[in-house]
Amino acid sequence: MPDKRIEIKATRYDPATDEKPHLQSYDIPFYDDSMVVLDALNHIKSHVDGSLSYRWSCRMGICGSCGMMVNGIPKLTCNAFLRDYWPRAIIVEPLNNFPIIRDLVIDMEDFMRKLKSIKPWIIRKQELPLGAGEHYQTNEQIDDFRQFSECINCMLCYAACPVYGLNNEFLGPAATALARRYNLDSRDQGLKERLPVIADPEGVWECSFVGECSVVCPKGVDPAKAIQQTKLDTTMRFVLPYGNRD
Amino acid sequence: MTTEAPAAPREFAWRMPGNWWTRTRHYFLYMLREFTAVPMALWLIWLLYEIKRAGSGPHGYYPRSSTAFVVFSVIVLGFVLYHSYTFLKLAGVIIRVKLFDRPVPSQVIVVTMFGSWALASAVVGFVLIWFAR
Repeated sequence: MPDKRIEIKATRYDPATDEKPHLQSYDIPFYDDSMVVLDALNHIKSHVDGSLSYRWSCRMGICGSCGMMVNGIPKLTCNAFLRDYWPRAIIVEPLNNFPIIRDLVIDMEDFMRKLKSIKPWIIRKQELPLGAGEHYQTNEQIDDFRQFSECINCMLCYAACPVYGLNNEFLGPAATALARRYNLDSRDQGLKERLPVIADPEGVWECSFVGECSVVCPKGVDPAKAIQQTKLDTTMRFVLPYGNRD
Repeated sequence: MTTEAPAAPREFAWRMPGNWWTRTRHYFLYMLREFTAVPMALWLIWLLYEIKRAGSGPHGYYPRSSTAFVVFSVIVLGFVLYHSYTFLKLAGVIIRVKLFDRPVPSQVIVVTMFGSWALASAVVGFVLIWFAR
């Protein structure tokens, strides 16, 4: 259907000239049912307005770069099909809760800082030499953390979280999910190094369980679950005798 | 020759709009869930007042039975049931239990929670009715 078209309204913001962001409308051909919002943006960039700025990379829901607000919902634009919106217009905006650098590009510095603060890597009290062999894990041990390891750092959960929107000191969903991923890993011994960050009042205790982070997560990570389980675990460590053991 | 450091790019700061909770059904239900604490607190304050009134014994004490109080209590009951439902429904997400080294499915935890709730309500109801006879 070569005549089918769809209207894309994209946020434009040039920090050199604009006081605040505004929407700009583009009418583009919708020639294939497999087209996604990212394809529409790429069409605009290539054929209509080369100055439109946005992030993207893999186009297959792995890199987590192309997260934007699509009709008010945080989505990976490579996974948001035009056919689900047509014939209505699609409003594409930068992710909520983050400062806007330009057009659809947000400043992710705060998230990167938080991600680093939870030390998302395996911590060993004493590293063994390579010759000592592998750290074996059973399937059950892997199942403990597998879900939380699926996070692609797309930040959709932060855009959906009103708690983070109101208080950006909050550690947030993805960082907590990743902290939980490593804390549940049988090879990891870094819980005590992460506790000051995750058990802080601005850590898991700031969350009031809105749950929208898990609704919008494109990988089924369920960060809300990670946060609530961490609350329970840290409470148990405090309450139970010998709860503070390693 | 002097070289000036390039100015940091000006960013547009995000501000959460005051009506954010009206934007999706999920946000609205979350706010409703949080709001249930307010009528529950009011009713409990009323209960404390009634306990104080009954402190001097059954003589001269008459429990509130006006239509307004009954209507208020029924509305609060609705809020309490909604709060309890949302809380217990989420128990399967929060509680992580292993039985024989295998995680207990979240549905089993939720059913157990609702079952315990029903049992506790039945016991409390029985005690209240039994002693009120």
